[in-house]
Amino acid sequence: MWRQLCDRFGMPLGMAVVALMGIWLILMVLLPQWQMIDYSLHPSLLPAEQGGEKDVWTLANYATFFQNEIHLSIFFKTIWSSVLVTALTLAVSYPLAYYLAKVARPGQAALCLLLLIIPFWINEILRTFAWYIIFAFRGPLNELLFALGLIDRPIRFLNGDIGVLVGMVYAYILFMVFPLYNAIESLDRNQIRAARDLGAGWIRTHRRIVIPHAKPGIATGCIMTFMLAAGSYAVPALLGAPGSRWFTQIIYNWFFEGGDWNQGAAYAFLLLALCIVFVTLVMRLFKVGLGDIAR
Amino acid sequence: MDGRVSLNQVAMHFGDFTAIQPTTLEIESGEFFSFLGPSGCGKTTLLNIISGFLSPSEGDVAIGDSDMTRVPVNRRPTAMIFQNLALFPLMSVYENIEFGLEVRGIDRRRRRQKADELLALVALEGSGHKPVGDLSGGQKQRIAIARALAVEPRVLLLDEPLSALDLKLRQHMRTELKAIQRKTGITFIYITHDQGEALTMSDRVAVMSAGRIEQVADPATLYRQPASDFVASFVGENNRFSGRVMKIDGDTVTLDASLTVPVAGRAIAGTDALTVGAPATLYVRPEQWRVGAADDTRLPLAGVIENEHFEGAWLTLDVALAQGPRVRVHVAQSTAQESPDLSLSAGMSCRLDYTPARAIVLPAEVGEEVGEEGAHVATTV
Ligand SMILES: Nc1ncnc2c1ncn2[C@@H]1O[C@H](COP(=O)(O)OP(=O)(O)O)[C@@H](O)[C@H]1O
Ligand SMILES: [Mg+2]
Repeated sequence: MWRQLCDRFGMPLGMAVVALMGIWLILMVLLPQWQMIDYSLHPSLLPAEQGGEKDVWTLANYATFFQNEIHLSIFFKTIWSSVLVTALTLAVSYPLAYYLAKVARPGQAALCLLLLIIPFWINEILRTFAWYIIFAFRGPLNELLFALGLIDRPIRFLNGDIGVLVGMVYAYILFMVFPLYNAIESLDRNQIRAARDLGAGWIRTHRRIVIPHAKPGIATGCIMTFMLAAGSYAVPALLGAPGSRWFTQIIYNWFFEGGDWNQGAAYAFLLLALCIVFVTLVMRLFKVGLGDIAR
Repeated sequence: MDGRVSLNQVAMHFGDFTAIQPTTLEIESGEFFSFLGPSGCGKTTLLNIISGFLSPSEGDVAIGDSDMTRVPVNRRPTAMIFQNLALFPLMSVYENIEFGLEVRGIDRRRRRQKADELLALVALEGSGHKPVGDLSGGQKQRIAIARALAVEPRVLLLDEPLSALDLKLRQHMRTELKAIQRKTGITFIYITHDQGEALTMSDRVAVMSAGRIEQVADPATLYRQPASDFVASFVGENNRFSGRVMKIDGDTVTLDASLTVPVAGRAIAGTDALTVGAPATLYVRPEQWRVGAADDTRLPLAGVIENEHFEGAWLTLDVALAQGPRVRVHVAQSTAQESPDLSLSAGMSCRLDYTPARAIVLPAEVGEEVGEEGAHVATTV
């Protein structure tokens, strides 16, 4: 990469680019993270006590998590719900991406992509509020279902997990559709035709030809959606029931309500670490490498 | 196993554009049948209609005695070899060949047995476990054939399958394809813009132009008795002379073609298609000319050699006739060697003649005017 940079920009400029990248990485990524790790490994102390004899290295903040059953269960519920969100987003996005990449004519595809993107020009909070209004007890969705005669009394969507699931699928659909679209788009149409010609029905054609080809795209989309869902704050805060909290809300509470930054930092790192472990496991399971994803 | 393919008034429109004019055609079971025509004439469209990828705007398609018009592609007894082969790159050779068998629910052992038989047929025994990416162009070609044959199609459809190969391999694969077709007895429908391929392999050839079949015939008939101006010019090379019919005598037609002498040839479509005074075209193939020295007055046409190319078995001359039109002449190497005093190089004068019984005359097509200059060479590779 160094060689390529020098070839393209010349030695001085190449060095400048690398230096900038280095500074960016150190200042914007490594230092803040280091600070957080540092926090997480120290007890929460009054300013006066900092640097004193109580200021020792400790894993106590991490231990708190494993001793708190409620937090543990919220954590696993967050992971499980994020898996569910990812699966739902995949299920919705795959047909859409296939349609855009292989069925629609170029004009139609461009129009659909535009229609998909436009709502994302609006702030995530506002979009989530829109769902809040739609799902409200006396909101338009209940009115519609009522008018269609499907229900005889309004449903409390915002009480359970439906609101959160729908809101998240909607919030992250683009992060799934685009990698899928790119992956499917690059499949030679004749591959699909050959499978059909050899007698395969649509399901088998997707299972044996399209999905294996799109696997790196599926993996990318799933990882992004999963990480975003697990780390989401706004959607569960707005659309979730008061009783069903997301793990990010616990972290928020430690930081801003408990005022215990050290504890919050430890929780944040646990979330990050366990998400990475989980993603790595899933990648192993589906036999995709990091190289496939960067493709 | 009835591999007869019948097209009945099949037509295809894309919006306002007619890709296939209404076409009726019967392809015999076990025949090696080719569609030959320039790029864009509708060959692939027609093949897609037979395979089921497209359903025709009009007309019906039948294979054997069953109507196929409404049958989806995965339920037709056809298999296709794609222009780019479309092997499945993420699968091994075995998996590729066995794909169609897997679809049909055949058990693992019988699949492997069948795949081995097919690998033997295409002379690639023992390469079943290789990833397809490791194969050479020619080997991929054979795997594509094996994969298509695995589903025991009644009709094998081939869309310019050799176009990606280099010349040597292409010629070798022609022989091989023909051998496989004989051995299996399956109907082969072969598409190409390369007349060499069509003429060497096929039992019959349909020559297509702009969505229309111009002529269906065996290769020799196509070459000797082309039924239209397009076929006469597209299949092999031809020198065209436009003129008016002066005399019809038996099947010999004499034309006034603004040359010093009247020219004559056989009427191909029958003399009833021609009337005295009507425009018609005479076609003389480059190898039908007789060349003599400039003082050989037994030969009626005088000219000057403009170009000469040595092509091994023959010599190609471009001769400007005294009247202006330029004609292409092939002189067999043996002829050139037998008459050493005949000097055939650029700038020399010579005289020409041809045998009217082997030249042909077609009525000029509607809208075609008698050319001012009288003749021009239709050159197609
Ligand atoms: N799906 C389509 N929509 C519109 N026009 C098409 C379509 N498919 C083919 N054509 C047109 O039909 C004509 C014949 O195409 P094709 O059958 O592919 O020709 P060939 O295989 O002989 O080169 C071409 O002019 C092509 O542009
Ligand atoms: Mg084609």
